[in-house]
Amino acid sequence: MEKTETKVSLKKRILSINGMGQVLTVSAGLVVLCIVFGIINPTFFSTRNIGNLLRQIAPFILIGIGQSYVLITGNIDLSIGSVIGMSTMLSATMMTKGVNPWAAVFITLVACLVVGVLNGYLVAGFSIPPFIATLGTMTIARGIAQIANGNYNTNSIGEAAEGFRNFFYYGKTLGIYNTFWIAIVIFLIFNFYLSKTKTGRHIYAVGSNINAAKLSGVSVTAVTIKVYVVSAFCAALTGFTQCASAGMGAMDAGNSYEMYAVAASVIGGVSTLGGQGILFGTVIGAAIWAVLQNGLQFAGAPVAIRNIVIGIIVIISVLIDIIVRGRAPKKGAHKKSK
Amino acid sequence: MADSIVRMEHISKSFPGVKALDDVSFELRAGEVMALLGENGAGKSTLMKILSGIYTRDAGDIYLYGNKIDVLNSKVAKENGIAIIHQELNMCQHLTVAENMFLGREIGKGFLIDKGKMNEEAEKVLSSLHVDISPKTLVGNLPVSKQQMVEIAKALSVNARVLIMDEPTSALSSKEIDDLFVIIRNLRAAGCGIVYISHRLEELSHIVDRVTIMRDGHFISKGNFSDYTMDSIIADMVGREIKEKFPHVDCKPGKTIFEVRHLNAGRMVRDISLSVREGEIVGIAGLMGAGRTETTRAIFGIDPKESGQILVDGKEVTINKPIDAIKHGIVLAPEDRKKDGLCTKLPVKHNISLPNLDLLSDKIGKVSRGKEDKMTSDAISNFSIKVASPEVAVANLSGGNQQKVVVAKWLSRKSRIVIFDEPTRGIDVAAKVEIYNLMNQLKEEGIGVLFVSSEMPEIIGVSDRVIVMCDGRITGELMRGEATQEKILTLATHFENKFEEKGEEDGEN
Repeated sequence: MEKTETKVSLKKRILSINGMGQVLTVSAGLVVLCIVFGIINPTFFSTRNIGNLLRQIAPFILIGIGQSYVLITGNIDLSIGSVIGMSTMLSATMMTKGVNPWAAVFITLVACLVVGVLNGYLVAGFSIPPFIATLGTMTIARGIAQIANGNYNTNSIGEAAEGFRNFFYYGKTLGIYNTFWIAIVIFLIFNFYLSKTKTGRHIYAVGSNINAAKLSGVSVTAVTIKVYVVSAFCAALTGFTQCASAGMGAMDAGNSYEMYAVAASVIGGVSTLGGQGILFGTVIGAAIWAVLQNGLQFAGAPVAIRNIVIGIIVIISVLIDIIVRGRAPKKGAHKKSK
Repeated sequence: MADSIVRMEHISKSFPGVKALDDVSFELRAGEVMALLGENGAGKSTLMKILSGIYTRDAGDIYLYGNKIDVLNSKVAKENGIAIIHQELNMCQHLTVAENMFLGREIGKGFLIDKGKMNEEAEKVLSSLHVDISPKTLVGNLPVSKQQMVEIAKALSVNARVLIMDEPTSALSSKEIDDLFVIIRNLRAAGCGIVYISHRLEELSHIVDRVTIMRDGHFISKGNFSDYTMDSIIADMVGREIKEKFPHVDCKPGKTIFEVRHLNAGRMVRDISLSVREGEIVGIAGLMGAGRTETTRAIFGIDPKESGQILVDGKEVTINKPIDAIKHGIVLAPEDRKKDGLCTKLPVKHNISLPNLDLLSDKIGKVSRGKEDKMTSDAISNFSIKVASPEVAVANLSGGNQQKVVVAKWLSRKSRIVIFDEPTRGIDVAAKVEIYNLMNQLKEEGIGVLFVSSEMPEIIGVSDRVIVMCDGRITGELMRGEATQEKILTLATHFENKFEEKGEEDGEN
């Protein structure tokens, strides 16, 4: 279908996508960042590092996608990091106890999705502010992560889990780590879901104006539950990659990842006020986050300096966008006129 | 002799791609109410934003109290006593009346606030306006009309001498409008100059002294209100004569297609029974807070119903959620387009397709781009929505065009019953006529129309039958021809005895 279109109209169509402008600006920023790091340390561009980098980007893409879904409805999910911990610990504990790894994955996935359903139901069904509702489930999920193996990290998940470890972390397909492929497949599926389907439209509508959405026949509760389930699903997958990477379960896995997810989304142009943003932006945002981590490490910056620099860059990147779009002066004038 | 306190001469202002004002002059005298009239986009608001210092002019001179003012920013405007009361009120809902009035210039010593003094001062201003509001009330607990009075009081407490009111009555009931007019007359007597912007031409005769009319960024005419007729005002605003302000099409109404029986839903919807026939426009008249909007909300499944039946084509249907109503061919174009009607951040295209996605998507829920583009372009041309591209966010459209998007999104699917709740609020005369024509078009297609409006002339002019509500009940029904303003008003104030004894209570939220 796509091929019958002329090239020009395809280009036009892509450019006309709401928010694409900002994503292109951010993409340019990503290219500049890579060049700068490449100049500082040429091994940044080595095949080995590129491979590692892609694998490092993957979890940020996954959690970014989940958080973006939630942010676009005008909500937030603080439980992402804890769900990662829960996923890691539940799956690892089961594997150390001899459960078949794929059965463990399945059971863990179901448990994590329950958290997602609970989040959505609390927020939409009972109108609990999303910040509070997911703060609660965040604490609960972390508690489950801790209780899973009796308040200890697990032992090695062992030989039987070799397939699991390769699938989620160590294996390669077409020369690129599977972790990255998983992130890309998830991106393609959820990007389609968000931009091309009825539910996707409903997600934007709820974030833009919840009343208008309701009156247009949208079930706000169903939409809200769906986005939180997507978020929990992405967090669960991220948990598996962490478990596969370490070969064991760590109780504090995924700590503060919910905030990294917000960062990836916001850098990529997703509005925390809802109704705006595209997943392609989130992928670029995730890439910037990972490139900063990786590049600064290669440039020899100590962890403390890395954190400070990354923090500054997050703020600057959003600031540039606000200035470019001219939103800041308008808001200021509005306040003054009061 | 009246002195002119504001003189704006040969003002021009351009925005990227648009010349908003072209050589416009404007004058306001002390102790008068000047109506500034024009269609949406005529440049009224731009001109007033220049006067209040929000925008800067590109060219032209401004004189305040006879002094030439070179740089007019909002600080200078404030110092010169120019205050603007916006259509949408800017109040902190969680602060008290006094705190709002003194926001940014709190009375007190150092960083301590003297609440008592502030309340006292606020009380003084409020009582000078004969407004009975306690300065300690939270603004959020006041009805919109009272909030507006607080806003006026706030302006006066900084010694405003020029008050610009942008559509001040659009959210008020008749009684509240009367109260507002009393205040405006008091201000005029006190020597203030008032610029009054309104689309409700009927109300001008009650308070306006002079008129300035603009069109497409140009000054068209000015003069004493008494020298104009309604028709000459409209002709100047629109640039052509509008032959029929309320076009009406005669249709033989067919069989009853929609019936509501004994509907109850809360205090404002009590035992409502009504019916609509094929090809009929049924008006629902009443004062603000009569329960009209609540009735439409209950029918459409937004608010829960306690009891009652709804029948479409003689068959009872269950409506618990809006989607149920939509599926049975009932649609509702809601009252407040920003609050309930539109997702303003989203493109026009996505707004129009939102309630119709079931028709546009396949089994797995993928929205067909071709079908969606066709629906949107049809809607844009059918409703002559002025927009550069369907991808433009609705927020960038003018009020009239936004209203057309609300209507278009609901009429893009085949329905049996269309409910319009105040479809013409805040839009100009020409756009209003387009909406009426649209309703007539629906009627000719055999669709039943329920038309809620607070403007009596339009409800009398357009409807085939008028149902009047008061305090949550239907108090009467008038056929076309027998409906007059007096009769409607009599029915609309037909309160139950019990209610009258309790004293007047304004149930508007």
